[in-house]
Amino acid sequence: MFKNYLKIAWRNLWNNKGYTAINVGGLAMGMAVTLIIGLWIQDELSHNNYFSKKEKIAQVFQSQTFNGNTSTGPAIPRPLEKALRDGYADNFKHLVMSSWNISRYLKYKGKSISQTGNFMQREAPEMLNLKILKGEKDGLRELNSVMLSESVAHALFGAEEPIGKTLQVNNQYDVMVTAVYEDIPFNNSFHDAEFLMSWDKMIATQEWMKNAEDQWGNNSFQMFVEITNNTTMDRVTKAILNVKKNLNEDTAEYNPQIFLFPMKDWYLRGNFENGKQSGGRIKYVWLFGIIGVFVLLLACINFMNLSTARSEKRAKEVGIRKSIGSRRNQLINQFLSESFIVVLFAFVVAIVIVLLCLNGFNDLSKKEISFPWENGIFWLSSLVFIVFTALVSGSYPALYLSSFKPVDVLKGTFKAGKYAGLPRKILVVLQFTVSVAFIIGTIIVMQQINHAKNRPIGYNKEGLIQIPTFSQDFEGKYDLMRSEFLSTNAVIEMSASSSPTTEIWSNRSGFDWEGKPEGFQEDLAWTDVTPEYAKSLGMKIVEGRDFSREFASDSNAVLLNRTAVKYMGIKDPVGKFLRDDNDDGGEPPLKIIGVVEDMITQSPYEPVKQGIYVFDKHGNSSFYNLRLNPNQSASQNIAIIEGVFKEHFPDLPFEYDFVDSEYGAKFASEERIGTLSGIFTALAILISCLGLFGLTSFVAEQRTKEIGVRKVLGATVFNVWGMLSKDFLKLVIISCFIAIPIAYYVMNGWLQDYPYHMLLEWWIFALAVFGAMMVTVITVSFQAIKAANSNPVKSLRTE
Amino acid sequence: MLLQLNNIFKWVNSGGQRVFLLKDINLTVEEGEFISVMGPSGSGKSTLLNVIGMLDNFDEGKYCFMDEPVHTLKEKHRANLYKQYIGFVFQSYHLLDDLTVQENLEMPLLYKKVRNSERKSLVADTLDRFNLVGKKDLFPTQLSGGQQQLVGVARALISSPKLILADEPTGNLNSKQGEEIMELFKQLNEDGVTIIQVTHSEKNATFGSRIINLLDGRKL
Repeated sequence: MFKNYLKIAWRNLWNNKGYTAINVGGLAMGMAVTLIIGLWIQDELSHNNYFSKKEKIAQVFQSQTFNGNTSTGPAIPRPLEKALRDGYADNFKHLVMSSWNISRYLKYKGKSISQTGNFMQREAPEMLNLKILKGEKDGLRELNSVMLSESVAHALFGAEEPIGKTLQVNNQYDVMVTAVYEDIPFNNSFHDAEFLMSWDKMIATQEWMKNAEDQWGNNSFQMFVEITNNTTMDRVTKAILNVKKNLNEDTAEYNPQIFLFPMKDWYLRGNFENGKQSGGRIKYVWLFGIIGVFVLLLACINFMNLSTARSEKRAKEVGIRKSIGSRRNQLINQFLSESFIVVLFAFVVAIVIVLLCLNGFNDLSKKEISFPWENGIFWLSSLVFIVFTALVSGSYPALYLSSFKPVDVLKGTFKAGKYAGLPRKILVVLQFTVSVAFIIGTIIVMQQINHAKNRPIGYNKEGLIQIPTFSQDFEGKYDLMRSEFLSTNAVIEMSASSSPTTEIWSNRSGFDWEGKPEGFQEDLAWTDVTPEYAKSLGMKIVEGRDFSREFASDSNAVLLNRTAVKYMGIKDPVGKFLRDDNDDGGEPPLKIIGVVEDMITQSPYEPVKQGIYVFDKHGNSSFYNLRLNPNQSASQNIAIIEGVFKEHFPDLPFEYDFVDSEYGAKFASEERIGTLSGIFTALAILISCLGLFGLTSFVAEQRTKEIGVRKVLGATVFNVWGMLSKDFLKLVIISCFIAIPIAYYVMNGWLQDYPYHMLLEWWIFALAVFGAMMVTVITVSFQAIKAANSNPVKSLRTE
Repeated sequence: MLLQLNNIFKWVNSGGQRVFLLKDINLTVEEGEFISVMGPSGSGKSTLLNVIGMLDNFDEGKYCFMDEPVHTLKEKHRANLYKQYIGFVFQSYHLLDDLTVQENLEMPLLYKKVRNSERKSLVADTLDRFNLVGKKDLFPTQLSGGQQQLVGVARALISSPKLILADEPTGNLNSKQGEEIMELFKQLNEDGVTIIQVTHSEKNATFGSRIINLLDGRKL
């Protein structure tokens, strides 16, 4: 019997190729979108699965409260290590201190490359369970050792045996390669740890780190732990929550809370708001999941609508089958097998579409998703997916078609009743509601990105490059390099700073100033800069003056940004003094010489943080900022700069970043979401239109006789076109009325996540409505005009 | 006695008025009869046939088919009953266009859940009996009207029904084809199948053993 169902289904589809193409095409598109989104979600959820002890690993986080604002982050002070090892050791299987992911020059036989990696304690490879390809897992045992990722080992040594070879780090010290580990795959934390070196080595080579050993206020380090099997994250957190507060009085006023942030939450639930975990990327997993379900639903609706619209054609068959003894459930089975075949077929096409699009999608979404050919779970869930889609799309037509009474349809008097079209209309409304809501959502995402992009940033990011100067080689060379660069015609101004233009690397508290409110706990973004900083960046001085090399006293001068003045509550700031409580009193106070325009250093969606720019008298710079000559091309400028650079630092690779592209990267995440939702919206509309197109062709066919009669009575083509379009337009307008409040509600909620956000204006909704109506009219017109142009004699004769 | 209709009424409400399609029909059909139902258009011939075939309901009266009171049966039982005992032949053949001749014949057996081997042999026998072997793989649209009706009759007969209901079986055929079909019916009747046909043609009516005349839903 089943074979028979399949045979009939197959012939039916084959004999109605146009209909089948629309059905399979629409479904395939919908399924492809759902599959791609499914793969994307799977990738998001499988983040950090490379680490076999994912469930047991955590990073130690700290929350501190300044003036009632709780900020949470991974930065912890060094003494915390001793405190946890001494008092809570039995909670941890491993406890690993780590640096940030930092850049180092690795040199071997005159070949120098710049790589990022971590300085970690000895147990790191064991905790992360790195796959050792060569050498030993306990590779950080010795002070002067380095473990390399496979790709870096290859880049440095090629075919040569790396183990036992000596590398020079930053032209400063030598380390020996003890192990090569498999590259950590892209969708995992630590995937940019291209080398691991000893934590103790870092301490030994950096004075400030040695000093930090007992500084509870110096939150500059990371700590990772693996908890023992007999405890839980919550239990450990409860135990260590107040460890810092109890041990250190000085920082207790900020109420430091120490807690474990489990590895399984790092990627998807990494946001904290006032000390509480508050979601993160997981919201996009949900968002795209919902989009996927809706797009599939749209495609299923097409299937339902087209099947039932064809009901008059299939009615006869139902009648015959019933009269020769078919039961209703047998007919239901038959129609379901038919939809099963269509869905199966669409699935195959969808797989092809996915294979064709996967590369492009990976580029867009910044992923490295590959098609899971060998994954049994994928195929199993695909099967469930197919059956589910077949049931959803096939059940309504099956129930509807199988309900016909044989005597009605065989007499030839069968006419779908007055309300037979109603469910179909409801489904079309549903489709367009989803589409219109998608359109509105996409416009708002795009607009919000534009809104943030057009925000004044407080400096001129065009034609500005930054060169990292982490290497020891740069020490004391700033003045020389500045005059060298300026003597070329490639650079018109240059400065150095302790953090990149687009980021804040240091926050400080513990200042005193005239009129400081009692108990005020300030938190300032701190940047050490050379005197030309404001000039080279093109920052505007709004009050007072810039640094000047003319005044020797400027070595103790600072600039504040506008927000800082407001934040600190200083009236007439210029000429006032700031005392740094962190000093022992040996340093003179800092003199405020000017106020600069706010400059966006963090998220373009956040308010600018109160910042202080301090004359860099200790040589703390980490970046050179070069303003390029605008009168010649960037590539010419870069070539000249590289020449000068190589002259002075022949061993170092020439690295630089354009500040505008660094700034642009801040939009990457939102832009990806904008692009993806744009694509999915376009597909949703396309699928809806495909269904509408099919539906109009059936309606036009059904009304052939009516159209013929009307034309004989004198209706023009335009009349007929209007008559056919009006019905569908009505449905779309109803959809708009449903979609607008929903979209408004959802998107308003989305915008609230961004403190700097656009206002929802009426034209966005009007545009979406207009767009949807245009699309409808165009789609319907294809068929309507064809029907209106047909010769009435023909259509009336066939009666 | 094969079936018996007692005081059958069927009506529709149209514009507040009750329009009778069948009015007080009483009819007894014995096994082996060949009845022709005649009457002008709209006199209720097809309706009567559909009522007898249980495809259509009636509003009043009693209907017994092989001692089963049809009027009290549930839809499902009724379907089982006609599936087993009744074969239909239609004026416009009503073959399934997507199926070949052979598959059209097989269809009722599939619905009756006849086993595969038995089905195959029944289909082969029937093809043989109606001289359709050479056309078994053709689709209905590739056949002439007479051939299509032949398939229709063959399909009605394949599950060996006791009763054949034919609604103007020759209405769409030319006179020669029509005559062949009527000859076939006569032959079947002689083999013991009960037949009720609706016809406009006096000539065709003469093939039967009894004629029932209808006018405005009444038996004359």
